Formats: sequence, structure tokens, C-alpha cells
Amino acid sequence: MNKNTDVVIDISHLTKEYASGTERIKVLKDINLQVRRGEMVAVMGPSGSGKSTLLFILGVFQPPSSGSFTVAGVDVISLPRQAQAVFRREKMGFVFQSCDLLENSTVYENLELPLIYTGVKRRERQGKIMEALQRVNLEHRVRQPSNRLSGGERQRVAIARALVNEPEFILADEPTGQLDRENSERVMDYFVKITDEARVAMVVVTHDAATAERCSRKCLLADGRLDPY
Amino acid sequence: MANTTTVSELRQAGFLPKNQGGTRLLRISDLFRISYREVMRKRRRYIGVVAAIALGTAGFITIVTMGRDLKANFNNDLDLLGGATIIAAHFDPPMNDRQEWFRSDTIAALRQVPGVRDLTVTRLRAGVTTTFQDKTYGFNLLGVDSNYWRLFSFTARLGRLFTEEDVSEGLKVCVLGEDLAKTIFTTPENSLGQILNMDNNLYRVVGIVGGVRAADKTLWAFLPISTAKDRIANISEVSDVYVRCKTWDDVAPVAEVLPGLIKSHQIDRGLRVQVAWEPLKQVQRMFWWVSLFIYASISATLVLGGFGIWNIMMAAVTSRTREIGLKKAMGGEDSDILLQFLFESLCVTFTSSLLGVLLGRVGVEYMSRMLGSSPPEGLFFLCLMAGLGFAVVLGIGAGLYPSIRASRMQVVDAMRYE
Repeated sequence: MNKNTDVVIDISHLTKEYASGTERIKVLKDINLQVRRGEMVAVMGPSGSGKSTLLFILGVFQPPSSGSFTVAGVDVISLPRQAQAVFRREKMGFVFQSCDLLENSTVYENLELPLIYTGVKRRERQGKIMEALQRVNLEHRVRQPSNRLSGGERQRVAIARALVNEPEFILADEPTGQLDRENSERVMDYFVKITDEARVAMVVVTHDAATAERCSRKCLLADGRLDPY
Repeated sequence: MANTTTVSELRQAGFLPKNQGGTRLLRISDLFRISYREVMRKRRRYIGVVAAIALGTAGFITIVTMGRDLKANFNNDLDLLGGATIIAAHFDPPMNDRQEWFRSDTIAALRQVPGVRDLTVTRLRAGVTTTFQDKTYGFNLLGVDSNYWRLFSFTARLGRLFTEEDVSEGLKVCVLGEDLAKTIFTTPENSLGQILNMDNNLYRVVGIVGGVRAADKTLWAFLPISTAKDRIANISEVSDVYVRCKTWDDVAPVAEVLPGLIKSHQIDRGLRVQVAWEPLKQVQRMFWWVSLFIYASISATLVLGGFGIWNIMMAAVTSRTREIGLKKAMGGEDSDILLQFLFESLCVTFTSSLLGVLLGRVGVEYMSRMLGSSPPEGLFFLCLMAGLGFAVVLGIGAGLYPSIRASRMQVVDAMRYE
């Protein structure tokens, strides 16, 4: 296996600064990170260390102050706004800490939205949705309103939604932050399975050591620097 | 690869997968479906604005569709006060020339003028005498047709007025003014069925004239015009023509046409056309204010409905900030977010307008029955289209700014919003 062609995310000398009055605060300093297919990297760190900022840059929600961020060799930061949106929906999946699902919507409708944005035809949607739900063992809940699901189920739906467009990499922000131990274990089982089976690259931002232990590689973000842990 | 920028170039380069085949139209229809679902699920919050817009639209459709019939009805009722829509035409007696009278073909042509609702003609004989119980009474006599009563809004105070049969068969019946009846027969009630002798012909009294405008005809006697022509000596030819217009808007055009039309059929020497311009202006002014009030109320209702939607949409954008961030994180473009919120606004106004059209139809049917007219379908359809068109304008007007605000939201700010 050629290791270089397997690299999905490639961050090099990345920095991020914020202006606070006349002062400039450096949140991220010279970050270097490579994530390969089938690899799950945990980014750990205390609150305020810049984990979310790094995640927002990886999600192309905000640009870095300097450095490069390429995905499969493409400089995604310099893409126009519309191309970034297309990139997000076709190459990436997101799982958020607060199990963000569309309220007043069913599981099916939650999973259908990314497919609508991607332009998948109606007759193909059901198959993709059921396939994604099968991966998290929730196909029997497909018509259930999202507000009637348990915390664990909501997070599994969020994972299925991240998978439905068959992304190349998934960003997870504290995916087990609001779950009990049993549900956290189950969610991580699914993550491991997905990275193995679908060869998806995954970055998991967490401050939970047990969650990080399940990842193939761990990094610590402290004082703006990312180091192997 | 680093210089690759457009989506199609990224697809060609293999960085992005092939297009999934969905068209822009499919995407728009999906967004519309999502918006409709969203509105339906939160329908309670829209009840107030839906009711306001529906009632405004219904009012607009009813008033505009039935406007002409309503005006005609108002016209009839208000006209009792001043005869504002009655145009009188007669020939002045010339100094040294032959007196002109209205000819039958002139009268027939006048009936065909657009805007003319009723037309009546009279023959006059001044100074008729009759004898009753050895007393002699003098009065003026008018030969009239059956339209005369309707045109001047006369009613039968007692008995009945002339019918078409009385006129066509030239029956020897007469109607009296109230004071004349009192003078001759002591009371109006006594006069009914009495026989009155005029020019050696006997006429049975069948009614006493009444109504708001009867005050200046209390000392007059009336005969069917055909009877008067045949039996009353020295009665004039058709000396006066009275035209009642359909609405007061028709008065000026009809009054303008009349002299030329008469001239085209006969000599118009001494012709005078009289219009009660002052009462007409007063009635028009009054109706203008009433119309202004009604249309202002309808407009205010619709504008308030629009502001209501604007307010709800602004609140929705704030309360759904995380949802907007989430959708953008899932790859929703600014235009997707804009369209979704705009469609929600349009769904509300369009649904309201459809409801308004239904209510308007009910209103039109009800008023048609009340006024005894048939609703003009073409005008209703036009109002329907105007109502739906206005709904689109209102939906876009009220929803555009909140939609733009939602579409321009930054993902980072939206996802961090608590």
C-alpha cells in the first residue's frame, strides 16, 4: 500500500490567530497532521486548547491564519465558497457533541437532507438511508421522530447521517460527550467498524481518555501545539 | 490540482465524485417540500397571520368582484335622497317657433345608451278640473308609464300604482297625490275605488302615491300615458324624458351623450338636459370616503399580515440558528438556506391567500344572493389571480430579509449559538 496516496487530510504548519483588542492571540501554532484512510485520530486536550477551532478549520468553516490544509492533494482553503459547500457535503461527514438532529423531523428526514443537498435522485435515497441506518443498527427506527429517540440512538442517527453520502473522512466533535459509558462504548464500536470497513479517515476531538483509547492514534493539543500522545 | 477551483473542474479532476444526477429543479422541489412540512408542523404560530391575510384577501375579492352591484345598490338607496343619477331632458317652449316634442325613435335610441338603467316619459296637462259632490277641483295631470314609479322610487301609499297592463291596455284608472285625495275625498282611504270624472271620462282611483320623493307630487293626478293620450284633451306630446343611470359613475358620460343623440334623431331646438350635479358630487364624495375606508382597512390587514410574517420569520431565523449551522455543515449552500426560508414565507402567504379566495367566493355568493345579482365570473377570476399574485409579492417581501439573514449566517457562529 502506498502510504502517500492513502493520505486524506494533510495539514502543514497551520496557525490560527484571533484579534482581541490590540492583542493577537495565537490559538493554533504550527500544527502538522496527516490522517490516512481507515485511520482514526483522536485529538485530545483541555477546554480552551483550540480543539474546536482546529475542527472548524478541518470542516472548512473558517480559514487558518497561515499554513496549508489539503484533502487528497487539493487546497480546500482556497476553494470558492460554493465549492467548499460541495466539498463538505460530498467528502465529509460531521458528528457533533450535542447529537444535533433536525427537531420535528423523522430519522428518515434527517438522513435525507444531505442527500437532497448532494442531488441524489428520490428513488435512490431510500436505499442509501437504509444502508446507513443498518450500519448503526437503527433501520427499525427509520420513521421515528428524532425527539422520541434516546441519547444513544440520536448519536447513532447522527453517525448514520454523516455516513449517508459515503464521505472520505468524518469529523467528530466530542461524540461521546453526552452519553453514558455503555452508549459511549457502543458509539466507538461503530466508529471503529466504519473506519475499518469503509476505509474512512476520522478525526475525533475528545477530552475523554476512554474514547481516545479506542482510536488508532492519539494527539494532544496543548498551548496551541499538536503533539503525539 | 491546487489551482483547481470550480466544482465541475473538481469533478473532472476526480476530486469530487460524479454528479448524482439530481437536477436543480429536483432540489428546488425538495426544498419546497421541506419548507411546506416545516410550516405545517409549526402551523399554530402562523394562525394569526394566516387569518389576517385570508380575511384581507377575502374582503378584497368580495368588494372588487361585487363592487359594481354594491354601488348600484347603494346608488338606489342613496338616490332616494336626491335623485343624483336621474337625468331630465325636456324642450323649452320657444318664443316664436314650433314647440319640439320627443319622438318615439329618439326615445328608443335613448333606451339603448350604455349606462342607462331606466327611462320614462310623461305627458302633461295643466289645469284639469273634476267635480265631486257638487264641488269642482282643479289640478295638474301627468300621463306616465309603469317605469315612472320605479325611476323616481315612488311607492303606493295606499292601493296600487300602474302596471304595464294598465298602460298597454289604456285602462281608465288613476292614481292621486295624497293631498289631492284629501281635498276631494276627505281622506286618502276614502278615495280608493271612487270614480273621478275628467274631461267627461270616468276613472277609478286605484292608489295613492307615496315614497320619499312624493312630497312634491301631493297635488297631482296620474293616468296611464296611453289612456291620457287617447282621452285627455289638449294633453301635451311627450314633453319630458327622465333617464336613470345604473350608477353615479355613468351620469356624466350619459349626460354628455344625450344631446348629440337627440340631435341625431330630431331637431333639438330648446333642448335642456338637467343633471343634479351637486347631490351627485355629494353622493360620490360620501362613497369615495366609504371606499377609502374599506380599502384602507383591507390594505392595513394585509400589511399587518405581512409584518406578522416578517416578525415570525425573523424569530424563526434566530431560534433556528443551530439548525441553519447544521444544514450548512451538511453542505447546504447559502442559496439552499435562502430558498428554504423564502419558501416557508411563501407557503404561509399562499395558503392564506387560497383560504382568502375560498372565503371570498363564499362572500361573493352571499352578496350576490343578497343583492339579487349574478357574480361576474371574469372579474372574480381576475381578483383570484390578483390575490394569489399579491400573496407571492407579500411572501417574498416579508420573507426576503429574514431569508437573506439566515443564508449569510456563518457556520461557526451558528454552531456556537446557544
